[in-house]
Amino acid sequence: MTGNFLKTTVLAAGLAGWGLSALAASPSLELVAPLADYKIYVAENTAQLVADTTGLVDAIKAGDVEGAKALFAATRTSYEKIEPIAELFADLDVSIDARADDYEKGEADPAFTGFHRIEYGLWVEGSTDGIQDYADGLLADVTDLDSRIAALTFPPDAVVGGAAALMEEVAATKISGEEDRYSRTDLWDFDANFAGAKEIYELLKPLLAEGDSAFTAKVDGNFGTVEEVLAKYRTEDGGFASYEELSGSDRALLSAKVNTLAEDLSTLEAKLGLG
Amino acid sequence: MSKADHGGRGCPFGPSRRSVLLGLGAGGIGAMAAQAGTAAAPQVNDAPDASAEAAARRVPYLGRHQAGIVTPRPEAGLVAAFDVVAFSPDEVERMLKTLTERIAFLTQGGEVPGRDPRLPPADSGMLGPVVSPDSLTVTVGLGRSFFDGRDWLSGLAPVHLARMAEFPNDALDPAMCHGDLSIQFCAGLPDTNIHALRDIVKSLSEFLVLRWTMEGSVPPVVPAPSGETQSARNFLGFRDGSANPDSNDAAAMDRLVWTHAAGEPGWAQGGSYQAVRLIRNFVERWDRSALAEQEAIFGRRKVSGAPLDGGEAATERDVPDYAADPDGLATPLDSHIRRANPRSKGSEANLILRRPFNYSRGVSANGQLDQGLLFICYQADLEAGFITVQTRLNGEPLEEYLKPFGGGYFFVLPGIRDAGDHLGATLLDAVRHA
Ligand code: HEM
Repeated sequence: MTGNFLKTTVLAAGLAGWGLSALAASPSLELVAPLADYKIYVAENTAQLVADTTGLVDAIKAGDVEGAKALFAATRTSYEKIEPIAELFADLDVSIDARADDYEKGEADPAFTGFHRIEYGLWVEGSTDGIQDYADGLLADVTDLDSRIAALTFPPDAVVGGAAALMEEVAATKISGEEDRYSRTDLWDFDANFAGAKEIYELLKPLLAEGDSAFTAKVDGNFGTVEEVLAKYRTEDGGFASYEELSGSDRALLSAKVNTLAEDLSTLEAKLGLG
Repeated sequence: MSKADHGGRGCPFGPSRRSVLLGLGAGGIGAMAAQAGTAAAPQVNDAPDASAEAAARRVPYLGRHQAGIVTPRPEAGLVAAFDVVAFSPDEVERMLKTLTERIAFLTQGGEVPGRDPRLPPADSGMLGPVVSPDSLTVTVGLGRSFFDGRDWLSGLAPVHLARMAEFPNDALDPAMCHGDLSIQFCAGLPDTNIHALRDIVKSLSEFLVLRWTMEGSVPPVVPAPSGETQSARNFLGFRDGSANPDSNDAAAMDRLVWTHAAGEPGWAQGGSYQAVRLIRNFVERWDRSALAEQEAIFGRRKVSGAPLDGGEAATERDVPDYAADPDGLATPLDSHIRRANPRSKGSEANLILRRPFNYSRGVSANGQLDQGLLFICYQADLEAGFITVQTRLNGEPLEEYLKPFGGGYFFVLPGIRDAGDHLGATLLDAVRHA
């Protein structure tokens, strides 16, 4: 795997790219190590994203609708995992992951591009004909994203706050199943979003004061419940069942847990002396 | 009623510029205004005057029964229905205790605790640093699905508690129906209800997931010159509440509103069945119908609210004499009030206590106003009460102007007896000593 290579190069590049002065001014130099680890996590995921997107685009170029559909959800997961820090590449987030309802003309809007435009082509239009250009555009965007990571500054508050922000986003705009509305692959995204937010939390957990064991026990418990709920919908091939299979009671449970995670993780910055 | 004193008297937390300039403030403040010199007319960024007396008004939250049922109905109402994700008795107890604590604070008011500024504040801040009670009541009920979803509650559901069934004229929207738990908020101002809802959503995010909400209001009414209070009007322009039972008659409330039947579980005694119905009114069409038809549909005069068999001077308090009008020549047999309460032998067993609010929420897909009634009623026995009355109303001429689309049935828990008690304590005791 590329892991080790990435670890050293990204770490070196990453530390250079950081506003060290900002960190020095912050109360905890202790954050340097978890932030470096997080940067490696992001870089591994963007590398994976490029590899997987290449496969997806190849299938689209070959006119293979079924093949492309089969790759769609899995390709997105590495992007959904790094969504906590999407604000650091907001321009690409729009072209990669915007939804039709972000545009007044909806699906017909020429500015509607990226994963969800491709999803629309594959599931609703049932053809790869209209999405060739979008496929090229997506690959160019994810490649651009991957090349930016090394030099990207990761402000501590963006990373620490990103975990809560993603939970807020899941609570406000995903839990209803509106993200992957054509393919109904939302559970893949949920799983990746929770994994991405939990990654940040786990890296920071050792820094939380010992007295916060009630807090960490509660957060651990809520991440645990979410994982248990999603595990019920895992399919044999390692994927997830359709969003339509999600029962009303499990949806309510996920919704309560994601709101409580958002509530609790919103205190992380203060707990770590940021802000 | 208490609405007449809504005249501006300035707020205790900082008199508005307007009340100062109008000289309504205390003497010292008046002097300050004189000093300021440039006495200007009230202006756009002055807050509307609040009544200090109304803001400070408290409704006791402790008692044998929950508040918000036989207590006076203030201007603003809000019903929120939730799914509950507390599954064990301990979790449910934790939820109900937290809910009780929030109700104690919100209804009695007080200072919001401060917090480290790096943390999100403890309170939304909507009402400022000191929360005024503003007559707030918070009334909690449980739906059938709450009992059905928990094995350890089997056999403990109130006997008439059912999932709301669809009536012939209904077009139920699943997104606006049912729920494990309902909370009715009532207060002087809508902001007080919204603040309380946000507090509860924040404090109980672990346990409660919102399903639907509906807000409504009741217009304040200036008392008649005689001093007699009159019923508020609904969005069809008729007085609503005229024939309601007297909520100050404790014996009547014990009989009609508070659950007491021997067949009901012991823990439920002193609770009440709550029926909530979201009923759209086709107001454009109504406004194009003849006055005589409107009055025949309800069985009452539009202006006075008096029954149709009364003379010129009749008032809404007069009681129609159906025995003298067996063929419905004065009050049509299919009129709303005659169907709802035929005043025949035995029909007093079907009396209900109505406590509705008017709602208005934008425009329908067809470009018509989406307005109607957030109908809420309470009864000791849901079957004898709401269900029987609604069944008699099925097919009434008023239906042409109505479309019920949501709501649910809930059982309002018995009251919080004292500061050491919490909502649902009798239910949890019953579980543990079963
Ligand atoms: C949008 C729907 C409704 C409107 C506009 C409406 C309006 C009215 C009006 C104007 C009155 C006469 C004044 C009064 O006594 O309050 C009345 C009476 C009454 N309504 Fe309704 N109502 C509606 C729905 C219902 C429903 C759903 C029920 C119960 C199933 C109900 C039960 C009653 C009862 C029991 C009375 C008193 C009858 C009497 O004792 O004389 N109403 N309603």
